[in-house]
Amino acid sequence: MTRLNTMVLAVVAAAAVAAPFFLKPFGIFLISTWVVLTIAAIGLNLTLGYAGQISLAQGAFVGIGAYTVALLTPTGVPFFLAFIAAGLLCFAIGWLLGYPALRVQHHYLAFVTLAFGTLVFLVLRNEQWLTNGIYGITGTARPELFGWPMSGARNFYFLCLGVLVVLSFATWWMLRSPWGRAFVGLRENPVRALSVGVDTRRYTLMAFAIGSSLGGLSGALYAPLVQFIEPNSFTLGLSFNLLLMVIVGGSGYFFGPFVGALIAVLLPEWLRVTEGYYLIVYAAAVMVMMAFCPTGVLGLTERVVRLLSGRLKAPPKVPGTQTLTGDAGT
Amino acid sequence: MTAVLEVSNLRKTFGGIVAVDDVSFEVRAGEILGIIGPNGSGKSTLFNCVLGQLQPSAGEVRINDRLSTGMRPCDLNRLGVSRTFQLLQVFPQLSVHDNLVLAGQEHRGSMASRLFGRGDAGVGDAAQRMIEFFRLSHLTNEPAGALSYGQQKLLDAAMAFMAGPRLVLLDEPAGGVNLTMLGHLRERLHAYHTERGATFVVIEHQMEFVMALCTRVLVLAEGRLIAEGTPQDIRNNPIVIEAYLGR
Amino acid sequence: MASFIQLLVSGLATGAIYALIAVGFTLLWQTSQTINFAQGEFVMLPAFFVLAAMNAGAPFWLAALIGIALSIVVLGILFKIIVVDPMLKYGVLPLVISTIALSLFLKESVKDFYSSQAQPFPTLVPAIDIRVFEAVISTQSLVVLAVAIATVVALNLLLNKTRLGRQMQATAQNATLARILGVPVRRMVLYTFLINAVLVAIASILVSPIYLAKFTNGETLGMAAFIAAIIGGFNQVRGAILGGVILGVLDNLSAAYISSQYRGAFPLIILIIVILLRPQGLLGRVEERSV
Repeated sequence: MTRLNTMVLAVVAAAAVAAPFFLKPFGIFLISTWVVLTIAAIGLNLTLGYAGQISLAQGAFVGIGAYTVALLTPTGVPFFLAFIAAGLLCFAIGWLLGYPALRVQHHYLAFVTLAFGTLVFLVLRNEQWLTNGIYGITGTARPELFGWPMSGARNFYFLCLGVLVVLSFATWWMLRSPWGRAFVGLRENPVRALSVGVDTRRYTLMAFAIGSSLGGLSGALYAPLVQFIEPNSFTLGLSFNLLLMVIVGGSGYFFGPFVGALIAVLLPEWLRVTEGYYLIVYAAAVMVMMAFCPTGVLGLTERVVRLLSGRLKAPPKVPGTQTLTGDAGT
Repeated sequence: MTAVLEVSNLRKTFGGIVAVDDVSFEVRAGEILGIIGPNGSGKSTLFNCVLGQLQPSAGEVRINDRLSTGMRPCDLNRLGVSRTFQLLQVFPQLSVHDNLVLAGQEHRGSMASRLFGRGDAGVGDAAQRMIEFFRLSHLTNEPAGALSYGQQKLLDAAMAFMAGPRLVLLDEPAGGVNLTMLGHLRERLHAYHTERGATFVVIEHQMEFVMALCTRVLVLAEGRLIAEGTPQDIRNNPIVIEAYLGR
Repeated sequence: MASFIQLLVSGLATGAIYALIAVGFTLLWQTSQTINFAQGEFVMLPAFFVLAAMNAGAPFWLAALIGIALSIVVLGILFKIIVVDPMLKYGVLPLVISTIALSLFLKESVKDFYSSQAQPFPTLVPAIDIRVFEAVISTQSLVVLAVAIATVVALNLLLNKTRLGRQMQATAQNATLARILGVPVRRMVLYTFLINAVLVAIASILVSPIYLAKFTNGETLGMAAFIAAIIGGFNQVRGAILGGVILGVLDNLSAAYISSQYRGAFPLIILIIVILLRPQGLLGRVEERSV
């Protein structure tokens, strides 16, 4: 990492640790939400930014994770076991969903995840005996960490932050390993990657399954954070939101999800001036951004930095942009 | 002598167009087979069918006597088959070194060892040796996209050789390369062939390249095999001359 | 038996509407690699054009024509020039994401600028019930079927019997080759967008009397279009028609025999089954593997 990057990272890390001491409870809630959603966004970034697949079910996976924890912990299962169960369950479901869908071209995964997300919502809403239906589940307990109670806002924030750091490190490790190289290969040049022995289908499936499990882990923290979950929290809207977080932050950039989630959490506050039209403004902004800067905020920053330092290199990468035929019908 | 590659009655149609029409041939171990023919004669389609990029409409492909028709390119690669591409295919954002590591990493160990093992999957040294073999050492850490056309062609070949393949299919390796680089490329291909005893199949337009490199030549025209023999025979064959110049 | 026939007929009517939407979706995909995630909202919107025109005083028939015309401009021309064209150079993924954002944009715009309440929409003919062999069939269903069939036939004639149509087919199959042969590819692609705009407008006018005009209509209708297109075979217009009809009939039958809570789940399960067992759809060909 360059000197500039390291400095920025250090400043942000310091701010993240210091922030809860200067914020009121609502502020702490906001940054906790940012941390938890970043985890889900990191997962989606794996699927979209590294493997080039659109998943519209990340919100559903967050929901599955949340309900898993909310249903297990009251029966006496320790939080961290439930946490891991949420991750494993979502990994398995992701694998099962992705396996058939990724055998075909045409972004079938997008449609399958769209359908799956809707199905999950229906099950959550209808199976009242299990999920309490539209009445939701309240009061999911926050865990104790080696005897330290985590139920206070500040302590729970640090717990979430700790989980984020661990998961980020694990993701970083994966991306630095030969797997990461295979992901870049399959993103940059899937034809060539196949011809040198990279099993693109298997790597894509892994990325999607791992991405989905990160969604589940995010949900596992979400339940004790907001303390009231209901099916309406996990509709397609959340999946869209997470998708936009990844795009706006910069799809395929490691810190993209962090930036995107921060913007998404703060945006409703900033756009309060638009008074309820904020979704329209948001959607319009995304369309504009896709037309001029599909590489998101981090992509834009990279371009600016490159311009300022006067280096002329190969044009910035645009994630997942291999056109399916050589000619896009212009 | 065993046939490393055996193509039987291969046929490929696109709608009403017959691109490859009942082509059969054998490639023997250790030889360098050239496939030539005028534009549109079906050479690339033939390659793509053999390499799993396209599904043949009919016919069989056998590699080392094992039925391989329609296998995915990554599985074929693990069987010891490699290819280079007509249109440049490297990984532009990765360094030259990483391009080669990627080309070799899938042949060692398992998915799990690639996740938890060494960052270069144990092929870092082999990649370095390959870079030296192709005399690209000064470019080791440059992004592949920054290389010149000819240098990328060399990298393409290097990537094909990383996994130590027994059969290499080269699709117009000389296309667009300047004369100096061409000599270097041909010499390196020849050196690799001699050192490793691999079998090559080369599609080419450039006659001198084919004549200098290949031990045997096949001629395709309009999807059909019209002649076969040594480079000398082919050069003087009237049917071949007509296919190229006639009409 | 009588109720079965009723369900069948109304299912065919719904299926015909799904078919129109799915055909437009498939045509866009075939000619310009545009996966239009906003297709459902495209069907939701024209009804509001019509309602707005009627609010301004126009009689229904005129408002319908205005609605179709506005669709052609907004959902055909503007969509292509503003959303699709700038995005094409970046590939398929950014375009898909743009259409996802567009669907949200259209939905929220209607909700905020027109109404969040379901609006009644006039029917094409007064709703009379006809008795046929003890089954009660509404004239509505028959008219919907008639209009949808007429549209499909007209489209078929256009694509297969006219020079323009054949040029469009050539563009869809192989744009590069078509260009070499002298087909004005850009214009053909534009025509596809215009045709889609007409198809969704007609579908909108047909479906809104039944579902009422509501800003959320896009969700179910869009999903139906995608599923129909995939069931039929993603790259086939005939497949889209077949998929739409099958989906409409199955959907209606399931509504009668499956609990209403899970009513919406049936098409989704069909989708997952199709992708599991026969991903190329009923009429699709197994695609060449390029990856």
